[in-house]
Amino acid sequence: MVGRILQFVLYPLVALAIGVFFLGLARKITARIQWRYGPPLVQPVIDMIRFFYQKSVSHGPVFAVGLIMSLAGSIVVVLFLPFGSICPLSGSGGLLVVLYVMLLAPMGIALSGGQGANPNISIGISRKLILALGYEVPFLLVLLTVMTHYNTISIVQVVEAQRDIGWSIASLPLFLSGVSYLLILPAMLGFRPFDVSTAPQEISSGPLVEYGGKYLLMATIEHALLLFIDIALFVNLFLGGAGNPITFFVKMLIVFVLVLFIHAAFPRLRIEQAIRYLWKWPTALALAGLIIVTIGRS
Amino acid sequence: MNPQLILLIAFGGAFLTYIFGKISSKLRDGAAVAISLALVAIFACLYGRRLQESFYWGFLGLNLSFRLDAVSWFFAIAIVSLGALSIIFSLRYMRDRERTDFYYSMMLMVNAAMLGIVLSSDLISFYIFWEMMSWCTFLLISYNQHRALDAGMKYIIMSIIGSVAMLAGILSLYVSFDTLLIPQIASSLATASPGYVLFVLVIFGIAFGIKNAIMPLHTWLPDSYAEAPSPFTAVLSGMLTRMGVYGFLLITYVVGGMIGGTGLGSNVLKFNYVLAWLGALTIVVPTFIAMLQNDAKQLLAWHGIGQGGYMVLGIGFGVATANSLALAGGIFHTLNYAICIVLLFMSVAAVQYRTGGVRDLNSLGGLVARMPVAFVGALLGISGLIGLPLTNGFVSKWMMYKALILEGHPFLAFAALIGTWGTILSVYKFLHNMYLGQLPEKYKHLEKSPFSMQLPIAVLSSAVVLFGILPGIPLRVINKICTWLGFSSLDVTIWGFTSETGTLNTMNLLAAIVVVSAVVWVLFHRAAKSVVVAQDDNYAAGAYVPKDKYHYTAGFYEPLFTMLRPYLRDVVDEFYTALAGSVRKSCGAVRRIYTGDVGSYVTYIILFLASLILVQLRWRPW
Repeated sequence: MVGRILQFVLYPLVALAIGVFFLGLARKITARIQWRYGPPLVQPVIDMIRFFYQKSVSHGPVFAVGLIMSLAGSIVVVLFLPFGSICPLSGSGGLLVVLYVMLLAPMGIALSGGQGANPNISIGISRKLILALGYEVPFLLVLLTVMTHYNTISIVQVVEAQRDIGWSIASLPLFLSGVSYLLILPAMLGFRPFDVSTAPQEISSGPLVEYGGKYLLMATIEHALLLFIDIALFVNLFLGGAGNPITFFVKMLIVFVLVLFIHAAFPRLRIEQAIRYLWKWPTALALAGLIIVTIGRS
Repeated sequence: MNPQLILLIAFGGAFLTYIFGKISSKLRDGAAVAISLALVAIFACLYGRRLQESFYWGFLGLNLSFRLDAVSWFFAIAIVSLGALSIIFSLRYMRDRERTDFYYSMMLMVNAAMLGIVLSSDLISFYIFWEMMSWCTFLLISYNQHRALDAGMKYIIMSIIGSVAMLAGILSLYVSFDTLLIPQIASSLATASPGYVLFVLVIFGIAFGIKNAIMPLHTWLPDSYAEAPSPFTAVLSGMLTRMGVYGFLLITYVVGGMIGGTGLGSNVLKFNYVLAWLGALTIVVPTFIAMLQNDAKQLLAWHGIGQGGYMVLGIGFGVATANSLALAGGIFHTLNYAICIVLLFMSVAAVQYRTGGVRDLNSLGGLVARMPVAFVGALLGISGLIGLPLTNGFVSKWMMYKALILEGHPFLAFAALIGTWGTILSVYKFLHNMYLGQLPEKYKHLEKSPFSMQLPIAVLSSAVVLFGILPGIPLRVINKICTWLGFSSLDVTIWGFTSETGTLNTMNLLAAIVVVSAVVWVLFHRAAKSVVVAQDDNYAAGAYVPKDKYHYTAGFYEPLFTMLRPYLRDVVDEFYTALAGSVRKSCGAVRRIYTGDVGSYVTYIILFLASLILVQLRWRPW
């Protein structure tokens, strides 16, 4: 019982630590690739402590409630994802619930930003939702392929199945889905070339523009957790999860660095270019994977 | 309490309300509310009872017969509850309008007719009440006149096509089996030829498909929803359209009630697969068309079509694969959707009431500050439509997705899931453009909505959350419907399902979300304070900004539209319009012959005789 409670408390903190580490790493690696020195790795931590003690402006109750909802949603998703052998909420609805709880984060930000009533925010949210529609098409196809292939909706069972038959990404139909997931990962994380919704030079960071102090703190935590969630899901579904947290972390790190290389090298796409890309190659691959799996099943 | 007494109260109440209205409007309002609440009380007391009553009236030598069982109770309680809430909502909305006596008695009449449909146990009374409902609906849709008349006309034409199909089916059944009692037909059809069963399915499928607005039979719906008076739109979208779902359950019972989900003929299975795919199509296309709408009620109306697709998908798929999870999901979604859409239409109506009928999404905004209750209603309503966790829509969608995936139909599941994303985009636009963003100058001093509007919104909002956290309450009744249809019973607990292939536990979910939110809130509260500032204060950094609308709401999804617009035409509606146009043209041509002038008719006759004489003289055929 005590062990379970400890899992509930410590796991989100570990996830947060990893996410924040990734934020720092992202800035550092991008800087090194672009021949800059870059800020220290702990810069995000320093920023977050500063945000906590800084005064801020608010635009009403929904402004705060939306953000709280968004952050709470992200933390709950973390509890559903197996991390090594740790998974506090394994038996409460599986991947379908994860899929839906993941909606709370963007919806919360959208609500909160809506109350902000800044034109940059609404442009940012509009772009974010369109982009989400763009990557959800391949993403849903990928998840359906995995669920159909293993005939389960539980992530834990997907991980266990891979322990016996090897990583999903090494088998043929799921290889296509895995590649598709990797191709849309930058869009899901909001990294270049898909950072249209938070483009700093164009729309002053979009949904974040009105946030300061504790609001920005929560938005940063939310972003850090998003990095953790999307990559951990990939590791669980395609790289066989892991028996212990250390291996799991190493796998996550490798995937993240791959995404960073793309982030550092590519310029930003316009929104319709992004959609066109997302609905072309990743969707085609994911669809091919799903068709093969469905035919193989029947 | 027997069924015909209930119907007597319901119909009598409708007439009494009209008469009371001639005496005093207060009396009429009181009577309407009292009757609708009394019906709720009656049905609440009848929970779990089974009644069967033959009513010897000798209509064309046929007995009228009524019954009350799990399925009729389930629909009846939803009809009377949503009806009562809409009547309460109308109290302020309809005040100071003309022809209110007519309006109230028609509202009660529609409810009574729907009760008649779900309580009738033979097809002749079913048909009578069905027609009554259609005609009352027509009158109420055209209540506002002008554009509403066109919408009503479109509705009644589609509706008549459905009724004629149904009547043909009923006559054919009567000729074949010499009875119209539903249980007897069910047992006779079990031995009928597969071809005949398919005929019955298709002909009733057309009738119910039109009512439930399945593509390509959906075209009446958007205009009717948009033009009808808003409290009636709530009833229309919530339960009335869903009589189609009841109809589909009924034909499922008729063709397979005795044998259940297993052992249905292959034609029945094929029909239901087609139905499931039509449902999937009905989910995807309308939800994307909804994104294009700038009229709040039109936007919701397209969701009325789209969400109907989920129900048809769940029921069709459940029958086709003998899967009670999908079937129960489809039925549960009917209830959930009804609650959410009534809530949303009421929320729109509250805004319309205060702003003087404005429902153009581009000209509203920021109303959360003025109408918080309506905002909360809209927020929970859209959450339920999307199916966010801890709302009722989540549970029913979860059930359908799980069934679709585990039965090996990922493409149907994909249609349903991508429909959810279409829903998110369009309902966020709805919420954002109406309640969030910049508050226009002219609405700065709007009053909040009156109590009689807040009460139904509050009741429905709590229902959304209650059924999301404790789905076991309605699912227990739905389980009975599944067993009535001959399907296996589900392993339902009060907070979800237990099964080997994946459990759902809303209690865990609730606990996790509540605890985590509390922790986040504490963190938020411990941080440095924030000050509330005016929006333009921050945006312009203190500099002067003109008092104008500079918020980006019009054309909210413009980049997406430019890509999608060529594909998102309502081809079906265009086809029907073209058809109507060519019929009108050919009728115009015919009208040119019938000039109405006696002289020309005489000319026709003379010409005709002359040509006959000519023929006789030349060829002598006679």
